[in-house]
Amino acid sequence: MHSTELIEQIQRSLKEVVKHADELRDLDQALGDGDLGITITLGAGAVIEALEELPDGATPAEIARACAKAFANANPSTMAALVAGGLLAGSKTWKDLDDVDIAAAARFVKAAGDNIAQRGKTQIGDKTIVDAIMPAAEALDAGEDGASGLDAAIAAAEKAVVDTRSLRSRRGRAAWLQERSIGLQDPGATAMWRFLESWRTAGVPARS
Amino acid sequence: MKKIINKPEDFVNEMIEGIVLAHPDKLKNPGDDPRILVRADAPVAGKVGIVTGGGSGHLPLFKGYVGQGLCSGVAIGNVFSSPSSQQCFEATKAVDGGAGVLYLYGNYGGDVFNFDLAADLAELEDIETMTVLGRDDVASQPKENRQERRGVAGTLFAYKAAGAAAERGDTLEEVAAAAEDIVENTATMGIGLSPTILPTTGALSFDLPDGEMEIGIGIHGEPGIHRGPLETADAITDRLVDALVADLELADGDSVAVLVNGMGATPLEELYVMYRRVHHSLTSRGVSIGKNYVGEYATSLEMAGASISLLKLNDDRLALLEAPASSPFFQEV
Repeated sequence: MHSTELIEQIQRSLKEVVKHADELRDLDQALGDGDLGITITLGAGAVIEALEELPDGATPAEIARACAKAFANANPSTMAALVAGGLLAGSKTWKDLDDVDIAAAARFVKAAGDNIAQRGKTQIGDKTIVDAIMPAAEALDAGEDGASGLDAAIAAAEKAVVDTRSLRSRRGRAAWLQERSIGLQDPGATAMWRFLESWRTAGVPARS
Repeated sequence: MKKIINKPEDFVNEMIEGIVLAHPDKLKNPGDDPRILVRADAPVAGKVGIVTGGGSGHLPLFKGYVGQGLCSGVAIGNVFSSPSSQQCFEATKAVDGGAGVLYLYGNYGGDVFNFDLAADLAELEDIETMTVLGRDDVASQPKENRQERRGVAGTLFAYKAAGAAAERGDTLEEVAAAAEDIVENTATMGIGLSPTILPTTGALSFDLPDGEMEIGIGIHGEPGIHRGPLETADAITDRLVDALVADLELADGDSVAVLVNGMGATPLEELYVMYRRVHHSLTSRGVSIGKNYVGEYATSLEMAGASISLLKLNDDRLALLEAPASSPFFQEV
């Protein structure tokens, strides 16, 4: 996937993902402070706009960096800063790359997940977005082509999201709920799952 | 609770407003957020910026060390709480003079989390940052885990040195190295006599029975390493100095900077009684005092208690301490 195609794919995916804003807001109201819906809506809008402004021939790394910057500034929050830092870390794996294939996508998602885990001092099982990112990255890495890799990543993320229901939140505001967080689905992990689904719905899967 | 405050939730902002009104020639809010303060002349073109930050309740820490030859800006949290990553980032933008920005603050989880996120945000704006953590509290972790120690009063030495290095035009790497060198050679230990009352909740920062002292206490009332009946000034001072001398492995012929710091409710008189003992204790070991500070440098609201910090000196470190500096709370001429 080259520059123009990548930009269009991201824009279409974000127009899809904002359809889940209410779901994310409701999940976040139960566990956190309820601003995830607005973070996603404003963030997606800002990214779509920022990508319009990019010069022709922007590299995938420059595109990812523009996404990070726009998302961080749209509605400043810890989640926005963590995601922006993740996208920044991912963009560094795309140095000298002009065609994003499934392997490049896997590298990106893995680096983003590692950065979020490190910055957030969190690990798999803490009931955060990292729970969904890491298995998705592994599934992408094992994928033979774009379509099947994406399908596997969505399935892995969905399983992780369902699994978060039985976990106790260990990071962020949600951790204050302690045992009462058990039974509630993690909004961050859900956001990652919905984003991957939106990427598929939006069309053109990454070529192998 | 008896405090001279208005609404508890307005305490921090009103305190900052007072500081800006009293010192408009030295400090300013760079934007709309009152929780960000920078030097009045920030950004200084071509010089490394230094951003610090942390919770309120520790004056002169942290905002008192924003000035010429010191830090360039500060992000200010609620009492004993971290500022947000966005505030750390806004402070970064406000002090960036094109030569990069050093993050220099005490090692506490919330502050590290938010400054690390700010570093990512700064990178997206092409502002280079480096981080050095104050970690001088020897009671918070044994020496083998010294990377994990909390930052307390001794961070003053790192501010002073980094600020002097930035002022003379050192690069970001050089300023960070100067700060790190100071941190590696600084040790602090505190003693608590009575807790502070948190203005928003009315809760005590720690519990301590009448007549008892806590050796090794942190600046938020974190537990120390020994609790027992209150001892004489000399006995207390000896406990602290012995621990610091051992930690820094000071030997006959070494020279140090000494900081005897009041935690908020202990009078200067008592601090000088302690300083006298520090002086005799060090000189009897053949350790000379190249520079000293006695007063309130890192407090915990109205907590009673004190801390002693030692910095092992060499010519470079002493020169950085002796370079001029000026903030509303700190002068070196």
